[in-house]
Amino acid sequence: MDYIDKYADIQSIIHRRDARIKVISLFACVISVIITKPDSYTTFVFYGILILALVLLSKIPIKYILKRSLVIIPFILAIAVFIPFLKEGETLWSYPMGPLKLKITYQGVTLFWNILIKAYLSALCMILLTSSTRFFELLKAFEGLKMPKIMVMIFSFMHRYLFILRDELMIMKRAKDSRSINGNSWFHTKALSNMLGVLFIRSYERGEAVYLAMCSRGFDGSIRTMGNPELTKKDLYFLLIIITLLILGRFV
Amino acid sequence: MSENVVKIENLSYSYPDGNVALKNVNLNVKSGETLGIVGPNGAGKSTLLLHLNGILRGKGYIRVLNIALNDKNLKAIRSKVGMVFQDPDNQLFMPTVFEDIAFGPMNMGLSKDEVKAAVKKALEKVDMLDSMERISHHLSFGEKKRIAIATVLSMNPEILVLDEPTSNLDPKHRRNLINLLKELKITKIIATHDLEMVLDICQQVVLIDHGTIIAQGKGIEILADKNLMESHSLEVPLSILYRQSSTWLEGDY
Repeated sequence: MDYIDKYADIQSIIHRRDARIKVISLFACVISVIITKPDSYTTFVFYGILILALVLLSKIPIKYILKRSLVIIPFILAIAVFIPFLKEGETLWSYPMGPLKLKITYQGVTLFWNILIKAYLSALCMILLTSSTRFFELLKAFEGLKMPKIMVMIFSFMHRYLFILRDELMIMKRAKDSRSINGNSWFHTKALSNMLGVLFIRSYERGEAVYLAMCSRGFDGSIRTMGNPELTKKDLYFLLIIITLLILGRFV
Repeated sequence: MSENVVKIENLSYSYPDGNVALKNVNLNVKSGETLGIVGPNGAGKSTLLLHLNGILRGKGYIRVLNIALNDKNLKAIRSKVGMVFQDPDNQLFMPTVFEDIAFGPMNMGLSKDEVKAAVKKALEKVDMLDSMERISHHLSFGEKKRIAIATVLSMNPEILVLDEPTSNLDPKHRRNLINLLKELKITKIIATHDLEMVLDICQQVVLIDHGTIIAQGKGIEILADKNLMESHSLEVPLSILYRQSSTWLEGDY
């Protein structure tokens, strides 16, 4: 399993920004992209260049970012591929298929391109955010931005114990493989379902044990945290520049 | 030095399914001493430990540092009794080492600066000051064990309770951990199967089996009692046997 914050430890102007500033800036980018009119092509180009510039500034290998961003393409295609055919409007191209007529409309194509570019640019923003920020710093930022503490705590536990559960599953799989030399695929499927059951019970028991450890250290149900560090001037300048550019982009 | 910091009288406990885990346990622990709790698997060692800070509440009377253990005093007692669990992954539940060690002090209501100072001091004690910003998941097993101890040291406890502190450690890290425990000059209560460690650091030993205290006394006296040890699924540590056996030194065994 790959860490999503694999490149979070490199030093760059993006990495050094406070996580809250990054969350706000990149969400502002996403919202600006989403509310851009479908035919404002220059604005899309402008935003595209801006986001690409941020990616380059972050010094994260561009290949890594592109590879991760490709993951979302199939999802968008699956959702949007029929839109050019279904949307009513000016016919661009048609093909008779017996009693039915397959046609592509101008409005449909515009909407399709619009969904594609908006989703892709938004995904780039989110990938930049998650890969330039350590996971726990991201959670701290959400806490600083008033996400309920209990949610932050749940995400934090999830991230902390996900890898441990993965290791437990791997050990169980090895134990199973050492004892099942033969056996058809049905046998293996049955074994897998038992393993998942055991894993569930172990997670439950671990949850209890962690709770005991929390109680032993004075946990009484209220979550206390250190809070976020002070914002620096540089952070605020960064936010200001991003917002200015985003507004500027609407007038080019 | 002779003051009793832990006083347990007639403690009995049964698990919800009816299994009796402790029967009429009486135990006194003196200030500053290191007490080893030994006994076979399922004897009730861990159950007894869990009573020391009120995680489990059996029938009987428990006083810790002259405070009776009851609902009202639970919080005060938990900040005085540092409990280190066997599996460090259960003890280290926060994302970073710093936050983990800060968890206890923060629950005690210390200010941010006090919390930071407490974390630093605890890390210094376990000699891992440069790991403050590390992610708990990335620590080695030996490091996790040390940090687990630091997470309770930061609360400045007067009694340290450890469940199997040396289990799964390689000899070098086991030795480091034993040396660390020797350096901590507070009352320690240790449940373990590591009899050599008991011999090394525990002045007093309690032998538990089937939820009752079978024997109690000086470490070397109990551990060297072959009949006693073997009738409770234990054995006399090899180091004692070798010390007693002159033939072994001549290679004739």
